[in-house]
Amino acid sequence: MNDAVIEIHGLVKTFRDFWLRPLASALRGVDLTVGRGDVFGLLGPNGSGKSTTIKLILGLLRPTAGEVRLFGLSPRSRRARARLGYLPELSYLHPFLTARETVLYYAGLSGLDRRTSRERAAELLSRMGLEGSADRAVGGFSKGMARKVAFAAALVSHPELLVLDEPTSGLDPLATRDVKELIRTLAAGGMTVLVTSHQLFDMQDVCTRVSILSQGKVVGEGAVADIVAASADPRHALEDYFAAAVGAKEGNPA
Amino acid sequence: MRRFFALARTAAVESLAEPLTAVLFLSGFAVVHLAPAFHYHQFGEAGRLARECGFSALLVFGLVFATAAAMRTIGRELESGTAAAALALAVPRPLFLVAKLAGVAGSLALFTGAIACATALSSSSGAIAALARDGHGSTAQVWGPALACGVGLTLGAFALAAAANRFLRARFCWTACLLISAAQPLAFILAMAMGRDLPPSFEGWTASLLRLLPAFSALAAGCIVFVSFAGALATRLAPAPVTALVAAAIVLSFVHPLRAILPDINRFWLVDRLANGGMLGWMDVLPALAAGALLSLLWLTVGSILLVRREIS
Repeated sequence: MNDAVIEIHGLVKTFRDFWLRPLASALRGVDLTVGRGDVFGLLGPNGSGKSTTIKLILGLLRPTAGEVRLFGLSPRSRRARARLGYLPELSYLHPFLTARETVLYYAGLSGLDRRTSRERAAELLSRMGLEGSADRAVGGFSKGMARKVAFAAALVSHPELLVLDEPTSGLDPLATRDVKELIRTLAAGGMTVLVTSHQLFDMQDVCTRVSILSQGKVVGEGAVADIVAASADPRHALEDYFAAAVGAKEGNPA
Repeated sequence: MRRFFALARTAAVESLAEPLTAVLFLSGFAVVHLAPAFHYHQFGEAGRLARECGFSALLVFGLVFATAAAMRTIGRELESGTAAAALALAVPRPLFLVAKLAGVAGSLALFTGAIACATALSSSSGAIAALARDGHGSTAQVWGPALACGVGLTLGAFALAAAANRFLRARFCWTACLLISAAQPLAFILAMAMGRDLPPSFEGWTASLLRLLPAFSALAAGCIVFVSFAGALATRLAPAPVTALVAAAIVLSFVHPLRAILPDINRFWLVDRLANGGMLGWMDVLPALAAGALLSLLWLTVGSILLVRREIS
């Protein structure tokens, strides 16, 4: 039985302008496999192709070449997408909806019935510490609060795969700690998590495997436990590994 | 269906929660209720000015509302990323487009129904007052109470929305639009109860409303075509080009060969047939309703194809 949740082979993505002239090569032959139960960190500097990879996994973009399989299916398949939750890089929310309505909206999009939706919304808003603000319009929320609402919306269908694009972006240290704890709890419950972030310390704390992208290519991949074991300074193991991989690719000293 | 209703409901809430919508609704109802005040010109028919004002209000304010709301609900969502968050889930793109525009069409239907009631109230009371002035009855005071009902309840609904916002944290514009719309049939019923002493030549309150509904439906069908048209264009274009193309479509639809595919508002403006006691039955508006359905379907299909082929980054 194939236990890979995400399989990516030779993925190439070239963005083109209106006249179909190549504009930018975002990905240049990426290979990745995310196994069931992994907390997989997709790391890389700005412009390395992390968000493009995620959008290809979600079926929002079409690959120029190569293949993406989600649960063994095309990412455009509804059956595959019904099994995932997605937290975008920016907390895109409808400003006029309340926090509760936002979570109920995503529950509706996931096809949950009304009763289950209400129960899940109440449970998740409570878990995020938003009970007191549940009936306020999210347009007036701080960035951190909006992030929590978006997190609750991503979790409402209790997905098998959770895709988190910069989950701790805009959060204060305490909220960041809560998010890390939440990711650990979800992973312990069997959920597969794909996460991108610039916060290497946070990634070292929560990820089981990482892949490092630079200039549209995978320049390093491995189990976090192995990276830490091989490092002279375990506390900064992932940071050193990242610097070595990206520095070598970009021609900078590590 | 749950996905459809989740998308449609959100689009309806958002379209009514925009401050522009509250301004359009309030302006529309103000124009209709105050029309009988201009009784120095009746177009040769008592109550006709009020009626024409009602249809013009739906045409102008409804068209602006429909186009702006469709553009926002599709274009802004694609631009801001809320569409990406929805389309990453198991939501087919054609369903996303159709459901969002159905939500906008629902809001437009609310506006149409309310403005039909307001127009029936306004034109009836104007007609009664004019008949009374000409010595055909003793109901010279009808217009005053009717105006008080229409304007009073509309302003009361606005004040109630403000109170709900202040004390219950309800969304102001959304609540105002809903309450102002609900106030119109209420004002009509109240005026009907007060104005029982009618001149024999008056057709009656209910008959007046029923006479207007087919023409309002045809005009609403025209506005819904513009919802589909603007929504389809917004899948690929920014708001400024969509607005320009909608304006160009209104002009170009007068060119005969383009009428078949462009939303031609003349096809849906059947109001003139109501002049001088004319009648317009449901069978008379059927071709306009069918044309509206076909054109909407055409532009929804175009929009769906464009959205399916679009890369969402």
